[in-house]
Amino acid sequence: MNHIDRREFIKLSLAAGSLLTLGSSDLATKAFGKRETPQKVLILGLDGIDPRLLQLWMKEGKLPNFQRLARQGDFMPLRTSIPPQSPVAWSNFITGMNPGGHAIFDFIHRDPSRYFPVFSASETTETKKTVQIGNLVLPLSGGEVNNMRQGKAFWQILEDYDIPATIFKIPANYPPVPTKQRTISGMGTPDILGSYGIFNYYTTEAKELKENIGGGRIHPVNVIGNRVEAKLLGPVNAFKKDRPESAIEFKVFIDPVNPVVKISFQDHEFILKEREWSSWKRINFRMIPTQSVNGICMFYLKQVRPNFKLYISPINIDPGRAVLPISTPKGYSEELEKRFGPFFTKGLPADTKALDNDVLDDGEFLEQDDLALGERLDMFDYELARFSSGLLFYYFSSTDQRQHMFWRHIDKEHPAYDPTLAKKYGNTIENIYKEMDKLLARAMEKVDKDTVFIVMSDHGFSSFRRAFNLNTWLKESGYHTLINPWKQGREDLFMNTNWSRTKAYSFGLNSLYINQKGREAEGAVNLGSEKEALVREIASKLENFHDPKTGERPVLRAYIAKDVYQGPYVDLAPDIIVGYNHGYRTSWATPLGRIPKEILEDNTEKWSGDHCMDPEVVPGIILTNRKIKAKAPALHDLTPTILKIFGVEIPKKIKGKPIF
Amino acid sequence: MMWIFNSVFGKIFDFIFFLFRSMNPWIGMILISVLTALLMLFVFRFTSNQEGIKRVKNKIKAHLLELRLFKDSMSLSFKAQGNILRYNLRYISYSTKPMLVMIIPLILILIQLNFWFGYEALTPGQETILKVKLEEGHNPLDIDISLEPSSGFDIQTPPLRIEEEREINWRLQAREKGVHDLTFIVNGQKFTKKVSVAQRPLSKISPLKVKRNFINELINPGESPFPGDSPIKAIEVKYQSKDMNLFGWSIPWLFGIPPWLVVYFALSIILGFVLKGIFKVQI
Repeated sequence: MNHIDRREFIKLSLAAGSLLTLGSSDLATKAFGKRETPQKVLILGLDGIDPRLLQLWMKEGKLPNFQRLARQGDFMPLRTSIPPQSPVAWSNFITGMNPGGHAIFDFIHRDPSRYFPVFSASETTETKKTVQIGNLVLPLSGGEVNNMRQGKAFWQILEDYDIPATIFKIPANYPPVPTKQRTISGMGTPDILGSYGIFNYYTTEAKELKENIGGGRIHPVNVIGNRVEAKLLGPVNAFKKDRPESAIEFKVFIDPVNPVVKISFQDHEFILKEREWSSWKRINFRMIPTQSVNGICMFYLKQVRPNFKLYISPINIDPGRAVLPISTPKGYSEELEKRFGPFFTKGLPADTKALDNDVLDDGEFLEQDDLALGERLDMFDYELARFSSGLLFYYFSSTDQRQHMFWRHIDKEHPAYDPTLAKKYGNTIENIYKEMDKLLARAMEKVDKDTVFIVMSDHGFSSFRRAFNLNTWLKESGYHTLINPWKQGREDLFMNTNWSRTKAYSFGLNSLYINQKGREAEGAVNLGSEKEALVREIASKLENFHDPKTGERPVLRAYIAKDVYQGPYVDLAPDIIVGYNHGYRTSWATPLGRIPKEILEDNTEKWSGDHCMDPEVVPGIILTNRKIKAKAPALHDLTPTILKIFGVEIPKKIKGKPIF
Repeated sequence: MMWIFNSVFGKIFDFIFFLFRSMNPWIGMILISVLTALLMLFVFRFTSNQEGIKRVKNKIKAHLLELRLFKDSMSLSFKAQGNILRYNLRYISYSTKPMLVMIIPLILILIQLNFWFGYEALTPGQETILKVKLEEGHNPLDIDISLEPSSGFDIQTPPLRIEEEREINWRLQAREKGVHDLTFIVNGQKFTKKVSVAQRPLSKISPLKVKRNFINELINPGESPFPGDSPIKAIEVKYQSKDMNLFGWSIPWLFGIPPWLVVYFALSIILGFVLKGIFKVQI
């Protein structure tokens, strides 16, 4: 398997130099606003909770607290964003605008001058001023990490009115936008390599030594004299001319009989039994004598004999000594670390790539996600206990990650369905919904008559059975031309594309671009009527295409950007946003600019549930203890709703309308 | 004999810190720094040439004054600098004797203080590594060793034997507060090691118990040693270093010197200078 998905795209040459020079140091971690607000707002963001599943299990009496809340107030599907991808959807919620206003259109955007994918949510630039002394490169200024989302976040507006807010791990807020409010970044926060998370796996088993896996590195090791010696790779050392990867060495001592090992590195030593996770371990990568990068990781001893197998989680940014900006004020992550110890800071904590690549099995993945969930629940109790005024937003990712990875166990039609595994793990999704139900009970104890309580999700979920190679469809339909047709499927990043004879291409998970003259480097389509006609023609053909295997239409709707977006950034949008039908999603190859031979293929991956579809296929949910007046509330309606509750004037740029 | 000395010397510190065990460790640190400053002043007072020190310091002051007054005369300036250097050397020679007298008691004090300020007791639920180090000629794979269950600890792993290090390790999890005895049966012989769990803010912690040997016992006087013919060289419990926190600021290690030692030296020297006038000591 050689695909790259959204999690990996963030590995875009982030520099250690910038890692070392960012951030400020303020120690106060009080919520900024001083005003005692007569009304309070508590929002739980449960990523990916699906209205159909929720309703089903509510009816069956399995989610009594969701039922109770719905009875107290209301429960409705929540219209999601176009496309229903988390960074887009949460940006709608954060700004009250659609992508034309906040400029996040997909997980992945593209640089039209290079036909190259770029991460949509943040941009990291290295320091430009350096001095070279021999092999040493010394930066004279800091690098930068910028949040690419446009528009004001609702907590920034509340700040203007002195209303305190705590925003816990909301997606699409890395780096956290400048504010004195207490915020900590969530989805989009990289590991210390600057990627979405690269695990390390050390094994003596030759068959596991795949060369090219996404999201991880597999290292062959030997057991010599009951000892393994290996290296854990860290960030690139930008202080050295040849930019080597930093590394620390570690030793594993293995008992000759018992399935137990001791791992030692730097000033750490700890003992692990087989199939056991370590606690967080601090790692210090020294770049030059005065500069180092701190990270935290967990070890998992998968097997001792007959083959040695050790998994090391992606190295998270250390919240106690963050080398990249992950909270406002900076002291907020330090405060949490002091109270709870090190915790997951990487945007999405559970390692889906390790599960996808059979490095972790279903049970091991769940154990890891349970650790992340446990941390988050502990911190929730802490934040809830001190929530006395203003707004608290608290986010949970386990609902999303478990549905992505375990949908195959509830969908018998899914190509990756395995009845044995389904018997064991078929309740995983139901269980996480039940876990969230318990969370609601905890929250509702705190909710008084003056508290508006909102439980929401950014989108729902559906099965991802068939993968649509959009670029292949464009090629087969005559909109995309290859230089060497016999090389089809072998090249990434459109390396085999004849741009002068190409009219359209796709990067990202729902985005389709016209190869427009004057915008793309080798544009072939004139702006104006030619492009207009082409866009409508492609949209229409996409909507009318049928899967020869199932007879279904893979594309439910192809949205034309200028018809559905408003705001100053519409020109940056993809020309068409592809809304996939139930069971369909873009293939793993499409976001990378690869053109496989088949238009449609079965998705045999463990990543089996998805939401990058048509917004009507995967609406989110809203439950609240107030009656909702709006007939079809949408994500971007919640922003003005919050402002209205606090009596704050709603800025004209906000497109949504209050729902109460 | 060494053990008797260690016991008596250890008891003195137990006595000094007895009333301060439940208080902030800074109180105990200030107390011991005051006592150390007094001891240093006492040693200086009675072992050094006080008159000589006074005379030399006056000479240095005079030549410093000469340096300022005759700064336009190069020859006088050079001469004054030469004299300052000469009297400084003499000052150092006067200080050498008290320094030499103090060095041994100071080392013994530091060894004791390390037990009180060097380590953080375990807390219930906390995991640690217990290491049994064997003498040369003993192989951890061949030796018959067992760790007896204790109410204070859960033994979380089977023994991990590292042949090349002649070590046997276990992972323990602290369960109950108190000072617990860990009991090992090695080739039918019984050995014990004390482990401290969440006691008072200031508590005595001995991470290493060693075999009878003068140097070993001098450096590790916390517990009675194993017999000289024991197959066990040492038993170690891994404790975390103690944090010295000053108004929320965690004092860092300084070039490998632990925070408590930095604080102790700084306080002792400052207090020595503060108190020297009261006791009329020339230093």
